[in-house]
Amino acid sequence: MADQGGSQHGIARTSRVRTEEQKRRDLERIAKYRELEDQVRAHIARGEYAPEVFQLTSKLLRLNPEYYTIWNVRRRCLISGSFSRPLAGSSCLKASSSTSPSATTTTSSTSCSSSSSAATRPAPGSPTAGTSGTTADPAAISTTPDAPGKEDSAATAAAAETQDLSIIKSELTFTIPLLLESPKCYWIWSYRLWILQQAIARLRPAVARRIWEEELGLASKMLGKDRRNFHAWGYRRHVVQQLESATLEGSSMVEAEFAYTDKMINTDLSNFSAWHSRSKLIPRLLDERGADDAARRAFLDKELAQIRNALNVGPEDQSLWYYHQFLILNLVAPEQHPAMTLNFTREDRVAYLTREIDEIKELLEDYDDVKLIYEGLFEYTLYLCQLEERQPDEIERADLVAWLGKLKQLDPMRNGRWADLEKEYGLKE
Amino acid sequence: MSQSFTQLPEELQLATSAHVKYIQSLDTRKDEYDYWLTEHLRLNGLYWGLTALHLLGHPDALPRAETIYFVLSCQHESGGFGAAPGHDAHMLSTVSAVQILATVDALDELETRGKGKAQVGQYIANLQNRETGTFAGDEWGEEDTRFLYGAFNALSLLGLLDLIDVDKAVNHIAACANFDGGYGVNPGAESHSGQIFTCVAALTIAGRQDLIDKERLGRWLSERQIAGGGLNGRPEKKEDVCYSWWVLSSLEMIGKTHWIDKDQLIAFILRCQDTEKGGISDRPGDMVDVWHTVFGVAGLSLLRYPGLQPVDEVYCMPKSTTARLLGR
Repeated sequence: MADQGGSQHGIARTSRVRTEEQKRRDLERIAKYRELEDQVRAHIARGEYAPEVFQLTSKLLRLNPEYYTIWNVRRRCLISGSFSRPLAGSSCLKASSSTSPSATTTTSSTSCSSSSSAATRPAPGSPTAGTSGTTADPAAISTTPDAPGKEDSAATAAAAETQDLSIIKSELTFTIPLLLESPKCYWIWSYRLWILQQAIARLRPAVARRIWEEELGLASKMLGKDRRNFHAWGYRRHVVQQLESATLEGSSMVEAEFAYTDKMINTDLSNFSAWHSRSKLIPRLLDERGADDAARRAFLDKELAQIRNALNVGPEDQSLWYYHQFLILNLVAPEQHPAMTLNFTREDRVAYLTREIDEIKELLEDYDDVKLIYEGLFEYTLYLCQLEERQPDEIERADLVAWLGKLKQLDPMRNGRWADLEKEYGLKE
Repeated sequence: MSQSFTQLPEELQLATSAHVKYIQSLDTRKDEYDYWLTEHLRLNGLYWGLTALHLLGHPDALPRAETIYFVLSCQHESGGFGAAPGHDAHMLSTVSAVQILATVDALDELETRGKGKAQVGQYIANLQNRETGTFAGDEWGEEDTRFLYGAFNALSLLGLLDLIDVDKAVNHIAACANFDGGYGVNPGAESHSGQIFTCVAALTIAGRQDLIDKERLGRWLSERQIAGGGLNGRPEKKEDVCYSWWVLSSLEMIGKTHWIDKDQLIAFILRCQDTEKGGISDRPGDMVDVWHTVFGVAGLSLLRYPGLQPVDEVYCMPKSTTARLLGR
């Protein structure tokens, strides 16, 4: 299975023979670690999720943030004691708020919170799961004074929110150093999202919103350290989705997110993650701007100019070519990618594509040994014929044969692919 | 690679016996701190080690009875498996448990000594998000196409795919497709070789390869091979042995393995071996681990390296196992 936690990446191979001193140190660390683990397990076995256990999980997770069961113990501690009230099904809250439990008809079960054995826990498919379960557990309500006055209950609610807010903030702080040290650890990211989901379930929307807003800063910080970290990109997407949602009284952030891709691309043209994000944002961006045909065309012109300039500097960069392909798909596959070329005529498409092919041919004057240029020319020329519903003419055919020859010469690793193309398009000399 | 084993030059020799010893030694390292720090991967690690041993032609190098006993000791009442006794149940360890039992031909032990196949299937099926079709890893709700693939893998081995809404899951995979032909962790996410493997394999299990843009995906995958012969996981990233598996098996599933240079990839994987103490690392000269060892060996098997048992590209298990259970 695809779980990379715990595997060694990029650590130099050293002699695996340890000195006596190293062995002794290892044994000490093991003893300390296992003692901590034993303490947590003893509490769990007794069904205890007290503050003391919570403190132990902090220690253990600092030593080993990959230990997912301990993150779960920490959640159970919060649900069963620290938070102001348990939520029905709160142990099963989805990271995504889009889920609804009503569609399920699977086995019923008892309350999710603070049961002593993980073995009997219900899965999210159970009726207690999902985010609609935000009403207080009756058992919890019964612990508040009988028939409280209005002011009392308002004060109680305010105190509860203060308590929950403080826990949520403290948990977010706890995970920061762990994330900085293990930025690719799935479990930390997922725990953090769970805490944020608690903010939605337990705090007033305006208060929860302020918590979520700060997460954009974290995503930017993590992407500043590693521009391609797909955990951080995914986290950013999720945070933005939530901030845009009605739950957090939000509105579209597509302009700001698009500007963010600009910023990331300007820092590093080779950042495909940013180009990818751009490709996903553009359709929404144009719709929300209410862009008419002319505006869409102008937008495409600007994107093409930008990527062409970039290709002039770095024609060997795959990231740039992939984005260029995305733009070209808007011309040749409008049924899948209509955003920028919705009302283009066939003549428009042909004119644009022809111009791109000519521009790429000009690249050859400066770079005659970059295989991606020949690959682009080959592909786009075939697209052109496809658009015009015709076979390549004599000149094009000669070009295709020549470019394929260059590809074989410059990129023999992929000879099997070049051979397939040669056969498919009848280009054998 | 048509030469016989002994004719290969030294740098192209697979250090089979060193690798077998390395894997056998993994459970004896209780005096090393890392052994304890990686307990949350124990069942996955057993699957990785066992699979590597089977592919290396040493299926009996780990004691079968103890293997089965350990797997069953990780099972919860819910039917799901934790990474080790005392660890919470999770999709990832549950799939490994099923794969291990399938490989040692002991799925029936689930009935006789475990909680029953149906209970395992139900645990997995309950993790499906019935609205979107995707799967969570456990009750806490993290969703990822890795878990969707895991569900398809294990449920198909158990013959229980009908417990889930396959069509909805397939629609979800389609929503994860990108313009470059690849797939991401969830809709909107960048294409990533590991996720491509999970999505393409799940579509293959569902019999829905028709949804794959094979030309575009094959091209993207073949571009993962970089100078030196290794494969990377995304554009402009470093090469890594585990991607030999994700990329290569995906290419195999869509019939385009010949779009990369197989001999160079074989040489790259072999350069990542520790020929003396055994094991394979991410790149030449780095620390080895069992994760890179199995995916290195599985890659070599898919590349028809001489002397290895054939691997199933969809399940990353011995072909003999999937042939026995699924007629593949």
